[in-house]
Amino acid sequence: MERAPVVLLRMAARMLPPARRQWAEALKAEAGQVPAGRTRVHWLAGGLWLVAREGSMARKATYWLGIGAVAAAAAWTVWLSWRAVSAADGEITTDRVRILVGLVALIVLPWAGRKRGWFGPVGSGAAARAFRVAGCAAVCGLGVALIRIDSHAGNNGIGYGGFNWMREVGGLTLFGAVLAMPPVLKARWPQLEASTLWSLAGLAGVVVWAIMPVQLLTIGYFAAILAATSRRSPVTGTSLVAGTVTGLASGLIIFGLAAISGDIGLTVVYPVVASIFALAIPAGIATAWRLGETDNSKDGRETRIRQGLLAGTVSGAVCSLLLTYVFIGFGLMMVFGPMIGLVGGAVGGALAADHPRKSPREGSRAAGLFIIARNGQT
Amino acid sequence: MAALACQPSAWRHGYDLAAETGLKSGTLYPILIRLADRQLVEACWEEGQPAGRPRRHLYRLTADGLAAAKSALAVAAGVPAKAMRPTPQRVAAPRPLAGEGS
Repeated sequence: MERAPVVLLRMAARMLPPARRQWAEALKAEAGQVPAGRTRVHWLAGGLWLVAREGSMARKATYWLGIGAVAAAAAWTVWLSWRAVSAADGEITTDRVRILVGLVALIVLPWAGRKRGWFGPVGSGAAARAFRVAGCAAVCGLGVALIRIDSHAGNNGIGYGGFNWMREVGGLTLFGAVLAMPPVLKARWPQLEASTLWSLAGLAGVVVWAIMPVQLLTIGYFAAILAATSRRSPVTGTSLVAGTVTGLASGLIIFGLAAISGDIGLTVVYPVVASIFALAIPAGIATAWRLGETDNSKDGRETRIRQGLLAGTVSGAVCSLLLTYVFIGFGLMMVFGPMIGLVGGAVGGALAADHPRKSPREGSRAAGLFIIARNGQT
Repeated sequence: MAALACQPSAWRHGYDLAAETGLKSGTLYPILIRLADRQLVEACWEEGQPAGRPRRHLYRLTADGLAAAKSALAVAAGVPAKAMRPTPQRVAAPRPLAGEGS
């Protein structure tokens, strides 16, 4: 009866980070001193619980379930593009090729970037994992929505008519060039400041994205989601959460306005821009404030503004993705939304940069010690 | 921590602490991990290979841990923490973490 939990514990301990593994081994080593029978089994069961807790097994299992859901959504998108769209649709080949390219990007980007860490592995925080799964699922969902629209639109749907290899390869080459731009520039001109580097890449990205069809744009979103949630990403969990919350709020406000006016077309473009900008400001404020007064130097202030800016960009991207679901004409907002959010987030970050949150006192630690000591006394 | 503070210079092992505190292994070890992360507890593996059983992981309070434990115990007992602050001479010097990180 005791053999099974010992073997399980030995196997489970391997899933722990190296620094934690010795604790599971310590617990296993003690098991021999525990009276045999139920007491020893309970002791070893506690070891399995320890591994589950320290290895964040619940979080990892949830994440991989989410990845499975994204894979299912991607497979469904491909299936729909083959089954739901009529072969008589002149754009069908274009759609299918772009969907397959998107699927390949979803698989290849994390794999290709794993060594340098641009697109993977995922950050350790719950926010990064949740954002990666939900974001990729949302982009797959957008693919499904696009196919559904196209399947009802005949030859007048999304795309530019019949399939054209030159156009597709040209679009992908431009997209690849934008992705490769920051590392190439950095290698050629090492003295170039990071802000200049990203501004140049952003500018090139806008030009390229503006001429790319929405299907290829979704690949850019995949890349951005993977990059923002990778372990070495500069985007903090707070920026992701604040950006997502305000982005969703911004989208709902726009839907509300559209419902009141009875129109969800391009006539509401000004309220859309205003809403994205206005809601990105609190995202920037919240993120810059939450960073706290860890560093009061000029660098600390710049860090708070930068995080505000990133939160605003996330906010704009989330809102734009939500809007594109409802009205495909807003596809262009997938390019301009993050830029508008970036400006709003920078404004919010600058507003809060000089008023960071006070460092929390070590009350929780004292409380923990108190409880431990009290338990020890009784 | 009260259990560890009783004999601050003595190395204790997990089952010994669990038996004294009544805590289950799944509760005790996460507490020990947190305390070790905060350098309030030092840990090492038993030296040499004892006959008939595997080497044990041993624990004791560091100087900071002893101060924190006394402070927390004083708060629990309603005594001002300042009165319970240990003098440096009474605190055993921490030994190197022989097995830590291996």
